[in-house]
Amino acid sequence: MSSTPISSDALDLPAPAARRPSSVHRERWLTGSTLLGLLALWAIVTGSGLWAPLVNPIFLPSPVDVARAFVKLAQQGYQGKSLAHHFGVSFLRFGTAFGLCVLIGVPLGLLMGTVPSIRAIFEPPIQAIRPVPKLALLPLFIVWFGIGNLSKIILIAGPVFPLIVIGAMQAVRSVSTKKIQAAQALGASPSTVFWRVILPASLPGIFTAIRMAISIAVTMLVGAELTATSDGIAWLSLTAAEYLSTDIVLVGVIIMAALGFALDRLVRAIEARVVHWSGKD
Amino acid sequence: MRIEPIDLCAADRRAHAKLLIEGLGKSYGTGDDAVLALSPTSIALERGDFLCVVGPSGCGKTTLLNVVAGFEQPSRGRVLLDGKAVDRPGAERGVVFQQGALFNWMTVLENVAFGPRSCNVPAAKARESARQLLKLVGLEAFAQKYPYQLSGGMQQRVGIARALANEPDILLMDEPFAALDQQTRELLQEEIRGIWRRTGTTVLWITHSIEEALFLATHIVVMTARPGQIKAAFRSHFSQNPDPLISATPEFAAAKRQILELLRSETQRAKSLETPQ
Repeated sequence: MSSTPISSDALDLPAPAARRPSSVHRERWLTGSTLLGLLALWAIVTGSGLWAPLVNPIFLPSPVDVARAFVKLAQQGYQGKSLAHHFGVSFLRFGTAFGLCVLIGVPLGLLMGTVPSIRAIFEPPIQAIRPVPKLALLPLFIVWFGIGNLSKIILIAGPVFPLIVIGAMQAVRSVSTKKIQAAQALGASPSTVFWRVILPASLPGIFTAIRMAISIAVTMLVGAELTATSDGIAWLSLTAAEYLSTDIVLVGVIIMAALGFALDRLVRAIEARVVHWSGKD
Repeated sequence: MRIEPIDLCAADRRAHAKLLIEGLGKSYGTGDDAVLALSPTSIALERGDFLCVVGPSGCGKTTLLNVVAGFEQPSRGRVLLDGKAVDRPGAERGVVFQQGALFNWMTVLENVAFGPRSCNVPAAKARESARQLLKLVGLEAFAQKYPYQLSGGMQQRVGIARALANEPDILLMDEPFAALDQQTRELLQEEIRGIWRRTGTTVLWITHSIEEALFLATHIVVMTARPGQIKAAFRSHFSQNPDPLISATPEFAAAKRQILELLRSETQRAKSLETPQ
């Protein structure tokens, strides 16, 4: 909710369907039990050391095995490098690509939504490369940008950048004409209209685009570490799969899922603070 | 009869015009696809006039307002405010929209202070006049709330206060109360009457409600169906009457009937235009 407390009793609010706390509780409880149920099912079919596994551990190791593998990886590392190193390398690739996409993509998208000539220059090439499967370009990227981090960063940025640019542009273009006209009729200059109306009104759409881009960026991290590297969390999973160490594979998968989840939560928390008016139009 | 026909662009009115709409026409598209939205229309408004424009939907009444506001360029004719041609939006013309034009990321006070701030009034002074205006519309207690925390009627009051903040020469209102319930609308109509009497602002008010027009206006224009043009114009005296229940009098009903008959034929014509050929 908003950063300022609202005394709803003093207002004749248009009642945003004030949900009773009991129903919220109930839904949380249901969500929690679903997750626990799935975990229990996993523990039961794999035996978890309590009974003979119903599924070959090579296909699906038990949660206990995965936890042990995690502890072991944390203590001893993997193939001569610590788990923190693998995570750090992946995070560097992911973070650099994602950060650059947001830092460049959001302003570019805002400009494209506001200035028709800038849109005319940048939209066609961006729309043209959008449908190209970026993973198919990986060999080319390696030829062009080498086997270092650059080719990996570009691969991750490949699908993320257009998504954020187009998302920001659409957010600007869907700002209600009335609000812009209202500002103009109040004497606002074009720059005031941009900074105080178009930009804030676009923020909810921009946050949505960023959140959608997170899951795609995590997926592309796996693609980026498919080849031409010997570290990284996705590389760890992919390499472990070759040795059928499925417990280590799952540790990597869970770390990447946690990364995506944590970032999504972070962006949502920022969004809730910054755009308290989101969805209230 | 409390309304009487009037020629809104008579020579003596044109001579004293605050707002002069001269042969204003608007069409959209080009060539064979061009749609005429507004036939050339002329209206002269004197200072302090409260003009309500009523007409069937799609008759171009909002187009008329948009051109006067400077949001759209006319295809022909021109608009003069105090003798100066209108070609873009400006702070001397305050606009109130039907709904959804408030800035939800600003508090109510910031919304009202936005106009003066945009016109380079110092922040402290802008906030002070915004407070005064919020008092005028009875919302001083809600200055620090956000618009989405208010009811529809309160939001429209914020919109009115915001438009008044620049002390505009003319207020342009595009069906400001159309989305409100009957009780709220009647209450706000009374308040608007009060504000208009106190400030003496010139008002151009678009509505589809005949009661609203009769209750508020000094002058009423009835538009034809598309392409819109003036079907009839009246001078109305009901708005000078202090009785808030004036709409329950036989004279009011008779005047309403007179306009209703004009509008009914137009609404039917508008409907026949809408059916696909």
